Amino acid sequence: MIGNLLAQALSGLASAASLFLVAAGLTVIFGVTRIVNFAHGSLYMLGAYLAYTIVTALPRGPLSFWGGILAAALAVGLIGVLIEVLLLRRIYRAPELFQLLATFGVVLIVQDAALAIWGPQDLLGPRAPGLRGGIEILGSRFPLYDLVLIGIGATVLLLLWLLFHRTRFGILVRAATLDREMVGALGVNQRMLFTGVFFLGAALAGLAGALQLPRESVNLQMDLAIIVEAFVVVVIGGLGSLPGAALAALLIGQMQAFGILIFPKITLVVVFLVMAVVLVLRPYGLLGRPPPPHAAAHAPPAPPLAPLSPTGRRLGWLALGLAMLLPALLGEHALFVLTELAVAILFAATLHFIMGPGGMASFGHAAYFGIGAYAAALLIKHLAAPMEAGLLLAPFAAGLAGLAFGAFCVRLSGVYAAMLTLAFAQIAWSAAFQWVEFTGGDNGILGVWPSAWAADKRLYAWMTLLLCLGGALLLRHAVFAPLGLALRAQRDSPLRAEAIGINTFAVRWVAFSLAAALAGLAGVLLAFSKGSVFPTYLAIPRSVDALLMVLLGGVQTSLGPFLGAIAYTGLHEQLMRLTELWRAALGAVIIALVLFFPGGLAGIRLRRP
Amino acid sequence: MLEVSALCAHYGRAQILHGLDLSVAAGEVHVLVGRNGAGKSTTLKAIMGLLPPSGGRIIFAGQSIAGREPFEIARLGIGYVPEDRRIFAELSVAEYLEVGRRPPRPGLAPWTRERIFALFPPLAALERRPAGRTSGGEQQMLAIARTLMGHPRLILLDEPSEGLAPVILTRLGEALLALKAEGIGILLCEQNLRFAARVADRASLIERGRIVWSGPMAELLADAALRARHLAV
Repeated sequence: MIGNLLAQALSGLASAASLFLVAAGLTVIFGVTRIVNFAHGSLYMLGAYLAYTIVTALPRGPLSFWGGILAAALAVGLIGVLIEVLLLRRIYRAPELFQLLATFGVVLIVQDAALAIWGPQDLLGPRAPGLRGGIEILGSRFPLYDLVLIGIGATVLLLLWLLFHRTRFGILVRAATLDREMVGALGVNQRMLFTGVFFLGAALAGLAGALQLPRESVNLQMDLAIIVEAFVVVVIGGLGSLPGAALAALLIGQMQAFGILIFPKITLVVVFLVMAVVLVLRPYGLLGRPPPPHAAAHAPPAPPLAPLSPTGRRLGWLALGLAMLLPALLGEHALFVLTELAVAILFAATLHFIMGPGGMASFGHAAYFGIGAYAAALLIKHLAAPMEAGLLLAPFAAGLAGLAFGAFCVRLSGVYAAMLTLAFAQIAWSAAFQWVEFTGGDNGILGVWPSAWAADKRLYAWMTLLLCLGGALLLRHAVFAPLGLALRAQRDSPLRAEAIGINTFAVRWVAFSLAAALAGLAGVLLAFSKGSVFPTYLAIPRSVDALLMVLLGGVQTSLGPFLGAIAYTGLHEQLMRLTELWRAALGAVIIALVLFFPGGLAGIRLRRP
Repeated sequence: MLEVSALCAHYGRAQILHGLDLSVAAGEVHVLVGRNGAGKSTTLKAIMGLLPPSGGRIIFAGQSIAGREPFEIARLGIGYVPEDRRIFAELSVAEYLEVGRRPPRPGLAPWTRERIFALFPPLAALERRPAGRTSGGEQQMLAIARTLMGHPRLILLDEPSEGLAPVILTRLGEALLALKAEGIGILLCEQNLRFAARVADRASLIERGRIVWSGPMAELLADAALRARHLAV
């Protein structure tokens, strides 16, 4: 029994070691550059693939194995430098969500590049020479390689400590984490520092990936799997804190090791729950500290939104009228695309409402979309309820989730808020994914069809258009209503808003929940149109879809979500039709968007004086 | 050594500096006085490149530095001590000085830890302590010391007297005079005229982003009407 527990603890330590290597790079990069590098998981995956290629190309032996792993780590370090020099260097002053999106663009490109180079099948690497077996510890066998991994983790921790406390580079990195502008004013070229830090972080991620070679197969899902875990570790430990990353990696490693024994069904939820609890109690993580006051990006204040001119208003109504005519003219597939488009517009409008006028960051908006869809689907599956009940329940359930999650999320801002929204979304996703008996897990819930009267595709498209455009118009109206005015006031100056009697927390909370409820409506409308729901409704890529639509349209324009949803849906369709590598193409579009049109489509028009 | 002419600077759309002229010679302490919001701190930030100027010229040691990056300007020999000191709270005093260290500058006696401890004796006892756990006066000394490690020819000093006890101020004044005797130029922003009187050679009055009067410090001290016109609140 004791032996079993010890073996479990050691196995937890081994995962903690890998997790620490990834998280250390992520946290150091964040500390200095203030960029949350979504592509860090991709660097990890590249490390594993490169190590596979190098190690299998060389003759077998300890030297070629360990040499190959080291070479892979260094190669990934250089790839990191490339990413920093070509992309990130240009966006250090951009708002956090733009940076997050740009690095997500890199994720997409790396995914397709890996697919093109190494193919879709899982690759099994060689075992570490001389470390195949296990050793007996108190009656339990424990893999030798895992012990080596623990040793490597501890060694890297020690080396990093020495680097940061005993070398000039390390001291400069720590100083820049505290106040990078001041370090620049003391004559330090920040570019060299940033590039150096990126090399270090990327090489650590590559090393962690390469070290997985003897433990598990190399596959294309490694990137998102590890990045989400690494986010959890870094956020729990405190963004930018290396000791925090070590502590949190230990915590999460042990929780995963023992969680499997105690709650095998909800391991995923437990991890995100811990993250959410930590963020609620200590918003900056266990060992983190509030961001330095001078680190904030100096975004110019948004120009006030103006209602449309009478002509614009007439044009708008005309466009809406024409849209309502469309279902009468379209064929089956086009009807389906139209339904999707209407859903996309409402979904984008809800995210825009909290990001644009609200000034809040959300990286987990899919949660509310999916919760709405799942609420209806579960009602139908378990209680055989009709569509109407589902349509009513969905926004209600999503709104409740918005109230519950929002109560914590809207207290934070910037990266911290984005990470907490992500954590809550992942909790919802884990529940849908792992609670197989109730939600059907990965197989989703099928048979979510409309009632007989709405079964006709044309009629359903009309209903969707009516509800979605109605919802989007309601939000647009809210921007100019007292709620919207208060919302914009607190975004522009929280202190002054409080001083004139606005309860900024309540305003943000209400806005967040309203947006969540309508996102749930969008979700349920899509579910009934497709006849099914899957965990993807709640997954990160769907949150990213919404973000892209909002950013594509322009955050600070009230027409943005309409334009953005139309442009993005069209782009997505076209890319998927044109090229196998549509992910890479989409990634390139995202990066181009962040680099060249930070104001979005509507912003292009606005920029001309 | 420093020649600033027609300097303009904006925060977003708001113009703060409207064509400001200023000069500092080697071994001179020039104090910039004016009401809150007149543009004193902004002037220093614009010279340092922390707020890129939107117009005008800044010539330092024969080179135009307007539009250059802060680290390049620092390497040319300008040290910057910000108003809130912006200390690296988690670094020890020894590490703190390391951040500012640059290769020695030809023709200047290089600053070493020993020379810095001779200038600011209280710092010598604090080498291992995190900078965040030092007193206000010690932090002000540290902020100057870290700049000195880069061997500056000119130091931009923003409100050093703020929040310091009189006895500390006396010591700070002596240190500034010692730096001046080394030939270092100092551009000082200061609200505390009594402190400025101890160290400054020349004074400029700044109002709404322009220099409205410039002359010997003694003249400013002697002319109560001038002070009332431009400084009284």
